[in-house]
Amino acid sequence: MSGPALAPPAAPPPARAPRAPIAWPAVAAQSAAVALVAALLVLVAVTTAANLELRGIPTGFEFLGDRAGFKIADTVIAFSPDHSYLRAIAVGVGNTLFLSLIVCLAATVVGALLGVARLSANPLVAALAAVWVEAVRNTPPVLLLIFLYALWSQAMPVGGAQEVLPGIVASVRGVAVPKLETGLPAWAWAAALLASLTAPVLASRAARRRTPSGARRPPYGRAVLAAVALAWVAAALLGGWSLELPRAAGEDLAGGARLTPEFATVVFGLTVYTAGFIAEIVRSGIEAIPRGQWEAGRALGLSEGRILRLVVAPQTLRVITPPMTSQYINTVKNSTLAIAIGYSEFMTVMGTVINRTNQPLEGTLVIVAVYMAINLALAAGLDLLNRRVQPEQR
Amino acid sequence: MGALRARSAPIAALLALALAACAPAPQAERGAIPRMVKRDYVTCGASQGITGLSRPDEKGVWRGFDVDICRAFAAALLGDADKIRFIPLNAAQRLPAVQTGEIDVLQRTTTVTFTRDMAIRFVAVTQFDSDVLIFRKALGATEPKGLDGRTVCLQSGGSSADNTLTRVEADEGIHFERVYFDSTITARDAYFSGRCDVYVTDGFLGASQVATVARNPTDHTLLYLDHLLPQGVAIARGDDRWFDVVRWTVNLLIWAEQNGVTQANVDEQLRSGPAEVRRVLGADPAFGRAIGLDQRWAYTVIKEVGNYGEIWERNLGGTTRIKADRRLNRSYKDGGLLFPFPWDV
Repeated sequence: MSGPALAPPAAPPPARAPRAPIAWPAVAAQSAAVALVAALLVLVAVTTAANLELRGIPTGFEFLGDRAGFKIADTVIAFSPDHSYLRAIAVGVGNTLFLSLIVCLAATVVGALLGVARLSANPLVAALAAVWVEAVRNTPPVLLLIFLYALWSQAMPVGGAQEVLPGIVASVRGVAVPKLETGLPAWAWAAALLASLTAPVLASRAARRRTPSGARRPPYGRAVLAAVALAWVAAALLGGWSLELPRAAGEDLAGGARLTPEFATVVFGLTVYTAGFIAEIVRSGIEAIPRGQWEAGRALGLSEGRILRLVVAPQTLRVITPPMTSQYINTVKNSTLAIAIGYSEFMTVMGTVINRTNQPLEGTLVIVAVYMAINLALAAGLDLLNRRVQPEQR
Repeated sequence: MGALRARSAPIAALLALALAACAPAPQAERGAIPRMVKRDYVTCGASQGITGLSRPDEKGVWRGFDVDICRAFAAALLGDADKIRFIPLNAAQRLPAVQTGEIDVLQRTTTVTFTRDMAIRFVAVTQFDSDVLIFRKALGATEPKGLDGRTVCLQSGGSSADNTLTRVEADEGIHFERVYFDSTITARDAYFSGRCDVYVTDGFLGASQVATVARNPTDHTLLYLDHLLPQGVAIARGDDRWFDVVRWTVNLLIWAEQNGVTQANVDEQLRSGPAEVRRVLGADPAFGRAIGLDQRWAYTVIKEVGNYGEIWERNLGGTTRIKADRRLNRSYKDGGLLFPFPWDV
């Protein structure tokens, strides 16, 4: 008896495809395997529960509502010891997401440039990019972070903070840059920035939709971009803002926007590390596009840059979206390495929570659940994008 | 079809095997003593490396105050202070390690608190400590008030140092900038590298780190806070027999110091000491029988590791680099908090 895959296709398509007869022995074997796995899981759970009972370890998630009683440095969400453990967990998640977002964005930009640089005809550029990529791809990331953190304490100005660049003050305690004081809340800024960035793109798309293929497109996008730029210039000229310059106060920094060495190191280190991987994804994505595409572009008289941007890049996007998804997920997971140098991301906070509540099993379950939730959401979002960029499969 | 069955058969067999291996362990073996006697060594939770408390030396032999206290338990139970293995643990690992039986006893700068005692079982206090603020003399501060607004490096993990710092802030009406690290060792390195003005940690641990790690120990001020941190030795809950051995071994160490029984004179004391001393050291079989140990277990402990004072001097005292002041870790007769429970009435 052949399996369903080998069934010969019926000649005239009937109303319903003919069903292959069910192979009962195979079903039985598979059911038995599933039952065994399920039994194994149940047994592990029962044994664990029995052992916990035997050792008198209390279980349950009641502790989440209790007073946390510890402090967290450098948080995105405000936190005090009187908040609950649940809030502490949220603070940790907030810090992890913030860190991962910054690293993902920065690494994507740096990695894309690095990937293109690896293909450069200039041997110096290509070799430098290759060294970068090979160095980070063949060393553990935690080494890089510890090295950078140690480097920070050794390389920063000795005997007090100093102005290393105009407006930038650095010391072993951190680095401070000028801070824009406008009186507007941060979300208003984020919204204005987002609108300024998306509006030209949307306008340019609208122009493409409304213009028949082949016809010259009206420059809506550029017009909106110009308007946005004018609006920003006008806002700047209008005033109502001031620049707070940082200054040195002994070893400490005063004023300005401050970055702690821990946060700066982990952002920089993970960006350098992740960019190495993204560079390889981008490079392989570009190289996956057949030579003929480049040659066709040259035959049309396009410059190399325009071929890359207009012909190759859109096709590369299709190739690299799945591996990029997995790289972003890796970045979220790698953010746990911040624990090595004292930035309070989710894992660090959970270590404290477990130490204080002495609920390692529950704490670990929370850790698993949170990382799975973040990464599954990320994968689902990027899968949507992937479906949009893939061509119709025929 | 045959191929499918042939493929799934080994998988099924493997799963069945895994199931059998996971069967619940026999419940008869309660308590740590049968386990330790069977494998012929004690496992003790140690720090990740604090000179004078617990740290392997250049030959890989663990040394320190906490280490020697642990060796005394091995000497009492198994008759040999070397029948012990040390497992370095960080702050978050230590309690689960006791609960799960990964270690038999925890003697690693662990402050006795209500919350912890509800999770594991503290047996005795082996050292009275307090937190210490360590800062550079160049700051010119002489009391916590002079450190207002300064940056402090410390270990997180809800450490007692963090709570102490919060109390100091409230008492003095000052504020510290905190930077947290996952271990005292990274916090210490950050302080010495200049990341912070102040480093706060357990007193003896801090004294050891300044004495052994600082480039110039005299550059640093150690300001002990008056908040008492009793450091305890702990075992898993619900193990009375092991509790007896640990508690009375600690008691023996303190008793021996206060009765002048030392490593050097223990043989003589057993032969011709005062009657009570001779009885404890093994002349009276009743003590050993009652606790379920060898008749001369007390003699063995003192012979192998010495008394409390000798353990202190060897690891933290004036002959070491640390030269820690015993402060409250002296006999009650000398203004300390140490006292032995009587062996009988």
